[in-house]
Formats: sequence, C-alpha cells, structure tokens
Amino acid sequence: MFSFTKEQEILDISGIKIGGQPGLYPTVLFGGLFFKGEPDFDSGKKQLQNMLDLSKKTGNPAIPDFFIRKEDYVEDIINFIEKTVPKNHPFSIDIIEPSLKVKTLEYLDEKKLLSRTIYNSIHVGIKDEERKALKKHTPEMAIIVAFNPRDKSPDGKIEVLQNGANLTDTGLLDIAKKLGIKKILVDTAAMAPGDNSGASIAAIPVIKEEYGLPTGCAIHNVVEKSKWLDNFKSARKPVDASSNINIPLFGGDFAIFGPMIHADMVFPIIAWQDILISEYTENYFGIVPDDSHPRRKLF
Amino acid sequence: MENEYYPWGGEFTVCSPNGCVAVVILNVNYSPFDKVAIYGPLKTENIGIEKIVANVISNPHIRYIVVCGDDIRGHRSGSSLVALNKNGIDEQHRIIDAPGAIPYIENLNNEAIDRFRKQIEIVNLIGVNNKSDIDKAIEDCIVKSPSSFGEPYIAIRITPEAAIILDDKRALHSKIVMNYMGKVKKRGE
Repeated sequence: MFSFTKEQEILDISGIKIGGQPGLYPTVLFGGLFFKGEPDFDSGKKQLQNMLDLSKKTGNPAIPDFFIRKEDYVEDIINFIEKTVPKNHPFSIDIIEPSLKVKTLEYLDEKKLLSRTIYNSIHVGIKDEERKALKKHTPEMAIIVAFNPRDKSPDGKIEVLQNGANLTDTGLLDIAKKLGIKKILVDTAAMAPGDNSGASIAAIPVIKEEYGLPTGCAIHNVVEKSKWLDNFKSARKPVDASSNINIPLFGGDFAIFGPMIHADMVFPIIAWQDILISEYTENYFGIVPDDSHPRRKLF
Repeated sequence: MENEYYPWGGEFTVCSPNGCVAVVILNVNYSPFDKVAIYGPLKTENIGIEKIVANVISNPHIRYIVVCGDDIRGHRSGSSLVALNKNGIDEQHRIIDAPGAIPYIENLNNEAIDRFRKQIEIVNLIGVNNKSDIDKAIEDCIVKSPSSFGEPYIAIRITPEAAIILDDKRALHSKIVMNYMGKVKKRGE
C-alpha cells in the first residue's frame, strides 16, 4: 500500500473521478461488453444494468467498455450506447482495426457523444489516419497503452510514454497531448503469462510517481490467456476476478476487468480491497476517503 | 527431450520430431493429425510471431508452416506472419507491409529472420476453416518429403531456472524508492 510524493492528477469524466493518492477515490472498474457475431442488445442491456446496480451498491464507479469488431455494427452499438447508457454517464470504446476507429470517432461526434467517450486506446501502432480522426473528433479522455514490444519491463513502458522507443516519432503522452486529448489514463499493458506479466503491476507505482497520471491495466488478460488454468476449470473465474486486486494494492486507479458478466464477482472483491487500502492510507498518510468510497458505503 | 527443439515455451503441441510441417491455428477449431511436427494457436502479431519463428528455426526438419483459419481481427497476426516470411523487417524492426496493429519483431536478430525466410515456406490457408482442406494441404507438404535444413538455429532460449539474486537490493524499481510505511518517491530526490 503506497502513497506518492509526486502530485497526483485527479481526472473527472461526467462526474466520475479517476486518479489521486491511493485510498482517496474508489477504483474505477471498466467492464467489457463483447458481442460474438450479431450484437445481442437485450443481454447487453441487462448486463449493463446489473453492473450499474453493483456500482451503486459498492461505490466503485462502473464504465462500460464497448468492443466494436465489425464496421456493420459501429452505428448499432453507438445507437445502443446513446439509448441505454444513462445520460451523462461515461463509456469507453475498444477497437483494434484502424479503419473502424475512424468511423467510430466520426459517428460519436455526429451523435455528440465525444464528451463522454474514453478512447481505448492509443498505442505505438497508431496510424496517421487515426491521428487525423482523433484531432478532428477528439474524445474527452483516452487510455494510452504503454506496450513496448522491445522491453516489457517498467522501464520499457516508461520509454514508450516518454519518447516512443523509436517506434513512434515522439512519446505517446506527447502524441496524445498534440492531438488535443487533455485527460489521459495510462494502461500498463498486461502481457501473457510467461512474458513478464508481473511488470504491468510493478509499473503502476513507477508510472504514478513519474507522471502523476491515473494508471491501471487489464491484468485479467493474463489470466484469460492462461492455458494452464484449464486444469482448474472452476477456479478460472475467481482467479480472473481476483487478479484485479493487484491494481489498487499497487496504487492503481482503474481496472479493465474483462467481460461485464464478471461484474458480480469483481465489484465486491475490489470494494473490499479498496476498504482494506483506505483503512491503512487514512491511518498512515492521512488520506480521508471521498464520500463515494466503498468504505463510506459499507461501514 | 522432444521439447529440446523448441526453446521458447508456449501453448503449442509437439507431435512428430522429424515432421516437416508446423501448423499455425488462427480463428478456427482444428487440431491436425500427429504427423505434423508442432501446432498451436497464434494470437499476437509481435510476440506470438517471434515465438513461432524461434520455435521453427530450432527444428531444421520443419520446412512448411500451414497457416489456417480466419485471421485474428485487428491483430491480423496470420497475415503478418505471411508478410514476415515474404518481406522480412525494416530498420525499425517492423514487419514490412504487415497489416497488424503492432507488427514489430524485437526479440530476434536479423540472422534469425533470414534463417526463417530461407528455411520455411508458408502455405497460406488464411480464411480456410474446413478440416479436410487443411488436412489435405498438410498431406501435400508431407508427400514432398523435403530434406532437413541442417543444424538447429537457437535464436533465443527461454528456460525457467530457479535463482535468487541478492546483490540487487533496490526496493520496487530502479526509478523509485519506498520507505517502510509505503511512501514512494523518485530515487535520488
């Protein structure tokens, strides 16, 4: 459990606070909505409502993370967001294909949703067309993934943020700022098991002390990629959900915890962890938790 | 001993040590018959490809890689592997003309890439999901019965070894220090 010397930025998106000293604000939880093939919006709506209810109960802010994998679904998914995500509630969009990123940004702008959008994500693979689209249709907030294929250690992650590690013309933080993105979250890029996966956790306090930016990761990806866990079928979900406790424990601010259907398990686990951390950080560092903190809700 | 040929551990299945075919499985539910040398999934267009390269050039009997199934959306790792074999990498270590998001080869030297391009012929079945079609393509390779490429090339060896290194007493990380209560500050400040 840590406290940082560097001043910590607290970012606000539609009333949700992310960042700061550990123990001040609850860990923000991004739950993913994946659609296999044709989007099943009825199921999506139920999952979203369940996650928002859990957020209300625990105090941990919930941000739905929408995966868009096909051009045909861009408009449908954004229309669903507009209709179903509560007004003024933030959401993130997670897209891999560069051309889809452009189309999605354009449509979000058309729908006037960019002020609630968290762009997931900017990384060293950023292309010119993506830069142009981001400059023209700038989202309120973006996640920068500190993935460095040359060096997966915390140093390598800092290198891509700072100078692009010769993979981009300049550091990723600089790129985001030049594009006009003012609110930046850093994702420490969780790797596969056996590939320095622990570095994404170790990098959290390093990056927070270096930049003071809200930092987190999708540590559950490590569990998801494990084949070894197939030997323990009933343990997979609890291991996946509980892997997220490492993030607040190492001073992190947000967890991209995977499929929204895991919310039932993840929210109470993280709320509990936030309480544990807050009890220490208040006693030793004088960090009095915000009113929204799980410690205020559950005790 | 059979894994001696494969210096970079991963989620692959080893079959016939003298087989001439490695099978890369993209987005398809398929397992090849056991006359192939090795098979396994490919997910990422960087580290995933590096592992494949390291683990095929270390077995000189492997002369073909059959890449099958729908490509991985966004990552386009199958097409990036094909591009590596066809074009190599540029000075930035980027796979030339690879369509993937972050197609960089960072853990292998140029010699290893050259060896891969010379040793291996790719059978591009990206988009093919039918078991009998894939089986047939593998059989066609096996029938050619190509000769071994010579000596194994070990580009990288990642083997677990228990060790405790006590001469480095930095707390947490070289950039930061922490006092006994958990207060973090930059080292040297």
